[in-house]
Amino acid sequence: MKLRRTGAFALASSLAVGSLTMLALGGGASATPVTNVTYAYDFPGPDFELIPLVVAQDQGYFSQAGLHVKVVFPPDTSTTTKLLVTGAANIGFITTTDMGVAINAGAPVLSIGNYTMSNNWALFAKPGVALTANNLKSELKGKKIFSYGDTWTESMLPFVLKKAGLTDKQVDIVTDPTGQDFKFLLAGKVNIATNTSNYEVAGFDTSGLKGKEPTLLGTAVGAPNIPIWVYATSQSYAKSNPKTVSSFMSAVKKGTLWAIANPTKAAVEFDKAYPKSGYTDAYNLDGWKLTIPFMANSSGQYFTQTSAQWATMSQALKSINLISSVPSPSTYYTNKFLP
Amino acid sequence: MNELLQLDNIAKSFGSTVALEPTSLTIEDGSFVAIVGPSGCGKSTLFNVIAGLLKPDSGEVHVANQVVTGTSGHVGYMLQKDLLMPWRTVEDNITMAARLTRGVTPEDRAEARRVASQYGLGEFLRHYPHALSGGMRQRVAFMRTLVTRHPLLLLDEPFGALDAQTRLEMQQWLLQVWKEAGRTVLFITHDVDESIFLSDRVLVMSPRPGRIIADFANPLERPRSLDVLTDLRFVELKSQILHLLHGAS
Amino acid sequence: MDSNPQKAPLSTMNIDRATLPRSSVRVTRSRRRAVLRNVGIPILSIALLLLLWEAIVVVFHVAPYIAPRPLAAIQSVTDNWGSLWPLVLGTIRETIYGFVCGTILGIGLGVVMAKAPFLHRMVYPVLVLSQGVPIIALGAPIVLILGFGIAPKVVIVAWIVFFPVTVNVVAGLSHVDQDLLNLARVYGASEWRTFFLIEIPASSTSLFAGLKIGATYAVTGAIIGELVSPSGASGSLALYQEHANTNFNVAAVYGTTMVMTAIGISWFLLIVASEVVATPWQRRTVARRSLFHREPGVDLTSTGH
Repeated sequence: MKLRRTGAFALASSLAVGSLTMLALGGGASATPVTNVTYAYDFPGPDFELIPLVVAQDQGYFSQAGLHVKVVFPPDTSTTTKLLVTGAANIGFITTTDMGVAINAGAPVLSIGNYTMSNNWALFAKPGVALTANNLKSELKGKKIFSYGDTWTESMLPFVLKKAGLTDKQVDIVTDPTGQDFKFLLAGKVNIATNTSNYEVAGFDTSGLKGKEPTLLGTAVGAPNIPIWVYATSQSYAKSNPKTVSSFMSAVKKGTLWAIANPTKAAVEFDKAYPKSGYTDAYNLDGWKLTIPFMANSSGQYFTQTSAQWATMSQALKSINLISSVPSPSTYYTNKFLP
Repeated sequence: MNELLQLDNIAKSFGSTVALEPTSLTIEDGSFVAIVGPSGCGKSTLFNVIAGLLKPDSGEVHVANQVVTGTSGHVGYMLQKDLLMPWRTVEDNITMAARLTRGVTPEDRAEARRVASQYGLGEFLRHYPHALSGGMRQRVAFMRTLVTRHPLLLLDEPFGALDAQTRLEMQQWLLQVWKEAGRTVLFITHDVDESIFLSDRVLVMSPRPGRIIADFANPLERPRSLDVLTDLRFVELKSQILHLLHGAS
Repeated sequence: MDSNPQKAPLSTMNIDRATLPRSSVRVTRSRRRAVLRNVGIPILSIALLLLLWEAIVVVFHVAPYIAPRPLAAIQSVTDNWGSLWPLVLGTIRETIYGFVCGTILGIGLGVVMAKAPFLHRMVYPVLVLSQGVPIIALGAPIVLILGFGIAPKVVIVAWIVFFPVTVNVVAGLSHVDQDLLNLARVYGASEWRTFFLIEIPASSTSLFAGLKIGATYAVTGAIIGELVSPSGASGSLALYQEHANTNFNVAAVYGTTMVMTAIGISWFLLIVASEVVATPWQRRTVARRSLFHREPGVDLTSTGH
């Protein structure tokens, strides 16, 4: 999953950050034995989506649950799943489409909870350019559309094109894994950028540029409203450490709710935990605030997964031939570890 | 007899070092003149001035009654290093001078082949230099010098890098070729024996400052066989030269 | 025996016996053996490597989504050859264009710097600086100037290639034997003839050393170029692999790596082959018969013994 702002500076510093150990803070020194858990993020460096975990750490929720959590960062955005199946990491952060292709390849991963509950993937244009759901066809036809080349974007684009009544030959999809979308967009080298709204808008807000970046949510133009990111583990780890997984998710939920209730303080805790993340404090706060609206579903639920979301996801992957067959949704997930 | 080479008060200094004091010299056409002297006596500087590589501080160089001071392309020149181009065959090396100036003609190539087969290297025309022995390479270098048809040939210790056995054979070979080709040769050497064996005339030079200190006529008759090496006149001339070079005892 | 009867050839001297060339029959036989050695052994070691890979996967029960068996990787390539071939061609094209540009630039710059010491002193630090810039950081600026397409990749490959070529050309030209240059001057050679007939061939060893180094990195440069500068709808080999990686198609990832390696090795071997052709004196004792210098009536085989 590569939907991020990766300006060169962020990439360089995230490579420098590497793997960090978070020290257990606070909490009473209880007599309960401590379990070590290695948590793998989905990106080579920390950013604001890690805030719920930082809070769970800082507020002592992990230590209260008898957990010592070590956060590791993969060398690239495709490796987290592999870390889970080899046991190099116990619990990780990946996308639902990562889950889809992994299960298809036979990798025994298991999704244990949604991160966001809805789809905040969107299309963006240069300030001043029109981008609306009504004139989608004319706004996209013959245009250069930026893609990170990741599975999520590739799954979403066909929905949008279908809604616009265009084939993929009628647009020019520019694929760049290094993610220079912002630069290309502003320089006019691409007409439309794609990204998740929290990252893109936070980046724009803190860029010092005037105006607003026209944003068109994917769900407004045909994309299904399915969650993007999930917490996952390997099937074997879930089988042999059910209590640990449950305690982990319980602590993460507490951290999430606290961070939603106290976004400013939560962002500050992140800044303190990762001072060399390469992102400014303003960006972290803005990004987290932009993520919050998508964390709960319309019924006010957090984390809970549905068969429908997984079925939709796997259908989308099958339709672009990224998986060979559609398994039953229960293959992908369980909610039993949720508090 | 014709004077092929004439030097009028040639002098050369490098900074504060006087490499060559004002020197005058006349070389007759067809003669073989040896120059002996220790390092720093100015013999190489003399050669470089005659060849036009160096401009003298004063004086003129005349070759065949033409003033050639500071210009090049009027003498044949050969060093201790054969300076054969490794990327060219023997034949191409022999025709090197033509290739570097006006271009190689079929006549040049025919001449190269003739000279090579005449002097024993006819089978090696398409060989590369690295396949040849040191002696063979020096012979190729000499043929290269020969085909330029310059009447004056400057040879700067051409056999210095060869072993004693090969050197003797090369000296005899050189005498034969010189006789047949009819050129004028100026030959620098460290080896007193070699200077007497080969030459009609021996010039002795001395350093600090570089100058000619003696000019001996060589009494030995031609053709020279190996017997001359033990001839009394040979030994006497050698003794005189050695004393000059290393001081009276 | 001898074509010129009046002058007996001086070829019975001991110095001739010192190095007589090997007979042509022996040369052919040993060359055949050398080819067998130089080609057979690498192929054998590659085959052994593949066998080792297969053994590791089987013995350690490595899951197919972690690492594939070599045959699976190869099959992924052959199964998808239709879509891979245009991408391979693209990478090859980028490599060749970039290498040629880098070589021309490298030789040009090298000659200028060797001939003008003042320029050398000014330009050399800039050159070294250029290599300090991480290639990955070059991507976006180049694309903003040159757009999507082959140009940014060519620039990146040229960037990587030109430096070793420049350095080696400068080194080669500065180490031409000064005595040889003096000799050329004594013969009255012009500057141009001295340059083309002596200085350039004399630096050929250095030049090819530089070209071989550049060739080694040229394909890597093309791949990096494909990663950091988008290719539009046509795609690229690197993106194909990137895509396979994000989609857990491990066999395709390994397969494309094999393809990229093959391209890299082939290009290097091509440069080595061109060195063999361009510098025959390094391997042969006798030159091939030239097509140009044939003279009617002169039979070289009868020049005696």
